[in-house]
Amino acid sequence: MTISSTTLRRMIVVSLILCWEILPRFHVIPELFLPSLSSTLLAGWTDAGEYGHALMVTLYEVAVSMVFACGGGIIAGAVVGSLPRPRVLIMPMVSSLYAVPLVILYPVFTVWLGIGSESKIAFASIYGFLPTMLATAAGIQTIDPQLLIAARSMGATLTQRVTRVIIPAAIPTVLSGLRVGGALVIVGVVVSEMLISSAGIGYLISRYRTILDSAHVFAGVLLVLVLAVAFNAIIRFVERRAAIWQTGTHAGADAAGGDAPAILPATA
Amino acid sequence: MQPLANVTRLQPASRAGSIQIKNVGQVFKTSTQSVEALSDVSLDVKPGKFVVLVGPSGCGKSTLLMMLAGLRKQTSGTILINGAPIVAPDPDRIGVVFQEPSLFPWLTAEENVEFPLTLRGVDKAERRRKAQEALLLVGLDGFAKRHPHELSGGMKQRVSIARGLVQDPPVLLMDEPFAALDEQTRMTMGDELLRIWAATGKTVVFVTHSLTEAVYLADEVVVMSARPGRIVDHLTVTLPRPRTYEMLSGDAFGAMRDRIWRHIRKSA
Amino acid sequence: MIGSLGLKLARFAVVLSVFALWEVLSRTGMVNPRLLPSASDTIAMLGQLLQRASVRSDLAVTASEVAVAFVLAVPCGALIGFAIAENRYFAEVAKPLLFFAFSIPKSIFLPMFILVFGVGFSQKVGFAFFSTIFIVIMSTTVAVDSVKTEYLTVARSYGATTAQTAFRVYLPSMLPVLLETVRISMIFNLTGVLLAEMYASRDGIGHQIATWGENFQMEQLLAGVLMIAIIAMTFNELVRWVETRCSHWRT
Ligand SMILES: Nc1ncnc2c1ncn2[C@@H]1O[C@H](COP(=O)(O)OP(=O)(O)O)[C@@H](O)[C@H]1O
Ligand SMILES: [Mg+2]
Repeated sequence: MTISSTTLRRMIVVSLILCWEILPRFHVIPELFLPSLSSTLLAGWTDAGEYGHALMVTLYEVAVSMVFACGGGIIAGAVVGSLPRPRVLIMPMVSSLYAVPLVILYPVFTVWLGIGSESKIAFASIYGFLPTMLATAAGIQTIDPQLLIAARSMGATLTQRVTRVIIPAAIPTVLSGLRVGGALVIVGVVVSEMLISSAGIGYLISRYRTILDSAHVFAGVLLVLVLAVAFNAIIRFVERRAAIWQTGTHAGADAAGGDAPAILPATA
Repeated sequence: MQPLANVTRLQPASRAGSIQIKNVGQVFKTSTQSVEALSDVSLDVKPGKFVVLVGPSGCGKSTLLMMLAGLRKQTSGTILINGAPIVAPDPDRIGVVFQEPSLFPWLTAEENVEFPLTLRGVDKAERRRKAQEALLLVGLDGFAKRHPHELSGGMKQRVSIARGLVQDPPVLLMDEPFAALDEQTRMTMGDELLRIWAATGKTVVFVTHSLTEAVYLADEVVVMSARPGRIVDHLTVTLPRPRTYEMLSGDAFGAMRDRIWRHIRKSA
Repeated sequence: MIGSLGLKLARFAVVLSVFALWEVLSRTGMVNPRLLPSASDTIAMLGQLLQRASVRSDLAVTASEVAVAFVLAVPCGALIGFAIAENRYFAEVAKPLLFFAFSIPKSIFLPMFILVFGVGFSQKVGFAFFSTIFIVIMSTTVAVDSVKTEYLTVARSYGATTAQTAFRVYLPSMLPVLLETVRISMIFNLTGVLLAEMYASRDGIGHQIATWGENFQMEQLLAGVLMIAIIAMTFNELVRWVETRCSHWRT
């Protein structure tokens, strides 16, 4: 091999971006199907105010849903993961529930809560809850029981075992749960905005789609992508900061390896 | 019986480090059956002695140690350490070292050693001082700031020993502490342990699979049989101290090892 | 300890009490029955819906979309996954890109499929294909990696032919992961089809559910949700059951 894999990968990415610009520009692909990069950015730029306002709405919904989904998921996962009986009882039911395409619940929420932010928040919270819970429960289970015995032999009280052993040991898995759950929350909010709503980026995407304004649709899609990638990058950064936890416990390896399919986001 | 030579190491009028095990039994009950793991075990350990427990796998050595550490309640009988019963883990009286180093991966070597002191709210300067002392004792003073994953197996076990010693308990319990180490590291660690033991005058109860290790380290070897675990022999190692590698090939050493081996083969 | 039968009973009891709670909330009027029709009414409605020709044809449309997308996405994804995992250089190049493609949300590209294909069968299948293929590629690379190199070395040292290693080593040791791939990719596939139907479509059960929602027909809506949930979970459990059967004969 004369070129390194990284170089080749960079070349692929650069040529994809170039294709995105060149192919539509020279009408190899109709602009309706794929607007060129420059016209997409231009569309976003000229209506920056509109996109900015929509972004605020979406971010607000994402933030609130994140609190519900991730907070609830982490607490529920911690409880289920640390108590053996509920775990045996509930975990198979939860992963079976995970097979249900939750998107069909969204109409129910619109009937119950209207087409404002509430229904999006409810839907996105549910959407992000299960994976966060599954990941946290798995993480609690991977805590080395020997660490708890050692702590006990040193006279640790129950509270001390929770705060000084269980919580720090669970952090890597909770973070990966947060990453998965948070990504789903973003998807959940945007998808529900796309389906029925009157505000937010998803709404803008759908509105521009109905008038076949591809450039504006793509600008919205790009904005969501940036949001999702940024969120992912932030969590990864925190994960790296906590890398000592990762290398030290089984949790890091498990979350990235064998168990991965079970907690992957259904970002269909 | 042993000559009283070793007693000079102790503060007179103190029973610090004495262990009395009287008619102790342990029965494990599961839903389907009950297993008698230990039956009528009685053992007296004088302060400052190095006692090694050997016996076939599953004969209850770990169980006995867990009960000495206050991590498990015996079904019958009494256990006294320093003349007082053990009802719960008591780090003032007992330090424990497990087969797995059981270090907290998110803490540095020093913080791991400080952990038992942190649990009791000892102030930082005091903690540092004691941890430094303990690390110096195990020969790891240069590695205080390393995390466990940056240490070799032998070094991790040294940290674990330092952690067991940091509160200066009169009794140190060790459950196959060197079993996971390679042969060479194991020999060095044995010498190190004898040095630490000689320097601190602790009572040590040490579990091992290796008969050579048992004879090499011990003042007294306690041989147990399986199902239910009982004490079948209790022999005094008459080899002089300090122990040297040359003794390993001596007749006295071989005779002692053979005697233990015959017991184990009979009961296995 | 609870036995396995006791466990099943306990789970059944949990499900039953959820339905009972639902029934009570609605019957007693604690929740407006217009917003939450009772469980029994919903189940009765589900029975009625299954009799309706329109619902049946919607189900048939959805099923055909799911089947086509699945039949296209799984082999394509598996082939790509194999190609990537088998060639180390290729894997090094492609895996980070794949991880990236995998982690970005696919649903937001749904409007593009409408712009390209218009509204109809090919748009929905195309979108479902798109939302499924990445997970298939990912899982296949994992599956190939899961074949223990020791097994391969042992097989080769006994002089196994290529065909023998493929069928005797690769397939059996990959089977659990492959079944897992089928299970997970079906979740993605189903979600893709239903979302596409709910977003813009003239037929299919997803479209029907969205319409019931817009018309505030709660009984039909909940019955539809229940129906999809049952279908999805049944398929899921079926694959799981095969998985456990396989792991039995493997060991
Ligand atoms: N928590 C437990 N529940 C049931 N049986 C146990 C438990 N712990 C140990 N045992 C049983 O008690 C016996 C002694 O175990 P252990 O003390 O670990 O043996 P050793 O350390 O000598 O190898 C074994 O037969 C083991 O199966
Ligand atoms: Mg043991």
